[in-house]
Amino acid sequence: MTDIYPTAAAPAPARKRLLPQMPWYVALGMGWIGTMILVALLSELITPFSFTAMDLKYRLVGPFQTLTHPLGTDELGRDVLSRLIVSIRVSLLIAFGATIISAVLGTTLGFLAAHFRGLVEQAVLMLADFQAALPFLILALSVLAFFGNSLPLLIGLMGLYGWERYARIARGLAISASAQGYATAITQLGAQPTRVYLRHILPNIASTLIVSMTLVFPEVILLESGLSFLGLGVQPPMTSLGNMVGYGREYITRAAWIMLAPSTVIVLTTLAVSLVGDWLRDKLDPTLG
Amino acid sequence: MSALLTLDTVAREYVTRKGLLGHRRVVRAVDGVSLQVMPGETLGIVGESGSGKSTMGRMALGLERPDEGSVSFDGAPMPLLGSAAWRGLRKRMQMVFQDPLAALDRRWTVLDQIIEPLTIHGIPGDARAAGLEALAAVGLSRDHGARYPHELSGGQRQRVIIARALITNPDLLVCDEPVSALDVSIQAQVVNLLIDLQKTRGLAMMFISHDLRVVRQISSRVAVMYLGRIVEEGPAAQVFHDPQHPYSRALVSAAPTPGPRRIEQVILTGEPPNPAARPSGCAFHPRCPVATARCRTEVPALVPAGPGRRAACHLIEPAAKVAA
Amino acid sequence: MIRYILTRLFRAMITIALVVTFAFVVLRLSGDPAVIILGPEAPPDAIAAFRKAWGLDQPVWVQYLDYFAAIFRGDLGISMRDGRPAIDLVMERIPATLALTLPALMLKLALGVPAGVYAALHQGTAFDRSVMIGAVFGFAIPSFVLALVLVLIFAVTLGWLPSGGRDTIWHAILPVLTLGAGGAAALARFTRSAMLEVLGRPYIRTASAKGLPWAAVVRGHALPNAAIPTVTLIGFLVGSLIAGAVVVESVFSWPGVGRLLVVAVANRDLAVVQCILLLVAATMVTSNLIVDFLYGALDPRLRHGATAGA
Repeated sequence: MTDIYPTAAAPAPARKRLLPQMPWYVALGMGWIGTMILVALLSELITPFSFTAMDLKYRLVGPFQTLTHPLGTDELGRDVLSRLIVSIRVSLLIAFGATIISAVLGTTLGFLAAHFRGLVEQAVLMLADFQAALPFLILALSVLAFFGNSLPLLIGLMGLYGWERYARIARGLAISASAQGYATAITQLGAQPTRVYLRHILPNIASTLIVSMTLVFPEVILLESGLSFLGLGVQPPMTSLGNMVGYGREYITRAAWIMLAPSTVIVLTTLAVSLVGDWLRDKLDPTLG
Repeated sequence: MSALLTLDTVAREYVTRKGLLGHRRVVRAVDGVSLQVMPGETLGIVGESGSGKSTMGRMALGLERPDEGSVSFDGAPMPLLGSAAWRGLRKRMQMVFQDPLAALDRRWTVLDQIIEPLTIHGIPGDARAAGLEALAAVGLSRDHGARYPHELSGGQRQRVIIARALITNPDLLVCDEPVSALDVSIQAQVVNLLIDLQKTRGLAMMFISHDLRVVRQISSRVAVMYLGRIVEEGPAAQVFHDPQHPYSRALVSAAPTPGPRRIEQVILTGEPPNPAARPSGCAFHPRCPVATARCRTEVPALVPAGPGRRAACHLIEPAAKVAA
Repeated sequence: MIRYILTRLFRAMITIALVVTFAFVVLRLSGDPAVIILGPEAPPDAIAAFRKAWGLDQPVWVQYLDYFAAIFRGDLGISMRDGRPAIDLVMERIPATLALTLPALMLKLALGVPAGVYAALHQGTAFDRSVMIGAVFGFAIPSFVLALVLVLIFAVTLGWLPSGGRDTIWHAILPVLTLGAGGAAALARFTRSAMLEVLGRPYIRTASAKGLPWAAVVRGHALPNAAIPTVTLIGFLVGSLIAGAVVVESVFSWPGVGRLLVVAVANRDLAVVQCILLLVAATMVTSNLIVDFLYGALDPRLRHGATAGA
């Protein structure tokens, strides 16, 4: 995950230039995202208990009542804070992994469509239509029904989410880059297509793609937590944010905190990413709808 | 001496669709052009927009495949666009574009872009030093090299393009309207730079422009194009001094020249050339002040018309042809 | 225009064919259905009989064609769990789902469109800002969290409304509210930006410079033009009438198609899952098609120059 983070960040010079005019809520959002990433990276060091450890003396303890379990415990006496930290790690891992897969997949297909045109382009566009025509949740549920469940499959499946947006963007921008001249000029210098696409076109359209990633990322979090909430995503004993909410739902009358803690994290995280994303979009790329 | 570049009766057609029912229409942008460029010479190509001169330039470089005819470079046929052989040939033939800003990647420094061809073709040696040398050769400083394209002026950008085109020491440079996007005051500087570089390096050049003044200054030989065909070709000094084709006469007479005017001003009337609606016979006949009935039906061939000269007009006296 | 309609129809059919192919491929890739259904310890002759009964002993392409043929006959298989035709199981759940999603759609339209238009016309006011904030929250709060919070407030704490089931009209209030609120926020935001874009166009400025009253400019020029993109989103919302309630139906134990899907997925009842998949795809594609035709009617540029963009 460490190698994922720099990719997801905006290009450094652009960000430095824009930092001073950041509104307070965007700064807050960035702070929250930073905290979440830190929590995910350091989860093994900062969890007070193992997330599966049961403490039967403390069952259904409310939050802020004892220092040993600051966010309370669940029915089995498991520490909510520890479970929350591990859940953040799992959910973020899935969301980052899926966002990267979908960006790479979509951009590659978009470039292929732009480069070969003709049949390849038609095929990519048709697949994109297909993807856009079906609600992704239904698609994901069908795949899970047929294939059963595992963490890699789940990440891969989530990685199919949103690829068609990158594909459309990458195709459109690559076509206009070729028409514009610098791509033609570099081809004319004798460069291989891979060089033209990776060294020249990709850096030129990176800001647009990064903005799209900030739009897809919160949706992936919502999707994963929705699936896990339904009991069809991350499977116990593993836990994720949606999973915790699903489990906490059974105790909503007696111990609402079990479900409220992960719900708050989900809402704040998607909120933070979309605020930062909207702001980035306005700053970097006003053309994106 | 054998030609460096040979175009043998090349033609290029574009298919356009118009209207809801997708009516197919074929536009012949270049229609059977034969040309040669000798090593070290500058061939000027003159014509209005729509004359097919840019398409011809792209075919000369192998950027487009002719639908008919063939292109050969240094005695060998032009390899297929995008093939390894085609890519390898790029270090020997380069292009200068009309809009230098569009031809540069705005995210790379100028020096990095100038030395990119060396990386692409895996040419050994100190690329940076070669890049600085190339910058100096086009009259830019080391400091310019560290900048980004948008931090340079139009003339400086075109110098960057020229430096990038020449860094692999090519044999042929195709310039497509290289100065028409620049201020008039800058145009002369860039043209002079090209003339200098051409002389010192023994480059062959194909210089495409609608601007007669510039073409006259730089070319040793010129070809005049009208609607995809060459109507006149010959040594620059002679064609400009004594144009034979009525279209060349009109062009030359319209261009401002120093000294006393030798030919009478001919004013072109009628529609500007439209490749989608090509007139029958000699394509120039609707605008030609001296057209006859024969011009409407019969396409004139490009035939010798004096020493080293060719022209395509029915009205050029067979006697003159014989005298040649 | 005819060409435009034909292209759209063709694309719609291709999409449906792709969905069928997708279902088939996934079905075959997922392993041997005989082993999955009968269990790994089933006797080999039972497995062979099962394979024969389901046509699994045929070559793949024969299975593929059979599969297509069966679907176009309306034969969508038998629920592997309770032995009834999958299509019957799904059809009898549709009224329950529509009972939630139709009122929710009304709620979305009644709240979202006027709020978006009003916010755009009064850009920068407190109302506009609260619409934007509402839209951001509406996106960030997943439906299951919203549902549970509503249950916590209205069912657990206040005890006003039931928390699940489908016995009285009161049972529908919380699910409809959950579905409607989030969608209304998204629709408001979308309508607002569509409207703002139209208001910035030169022809609006021309119309008001001609001296037309502002209300007439809005009614005559801005609203019809802003309707074009908004219709797309509404088409999407209509298309998701069946699929849109998966999570909410599960939270509120509402016996609709969505809940059936979740149960079928958990039980790996493939015939039912595939039936719902096709049904959802068909509704989505049909509503997209209708939107495309509406587009053609609303947008004169498409009516006349259909080839330009296609």
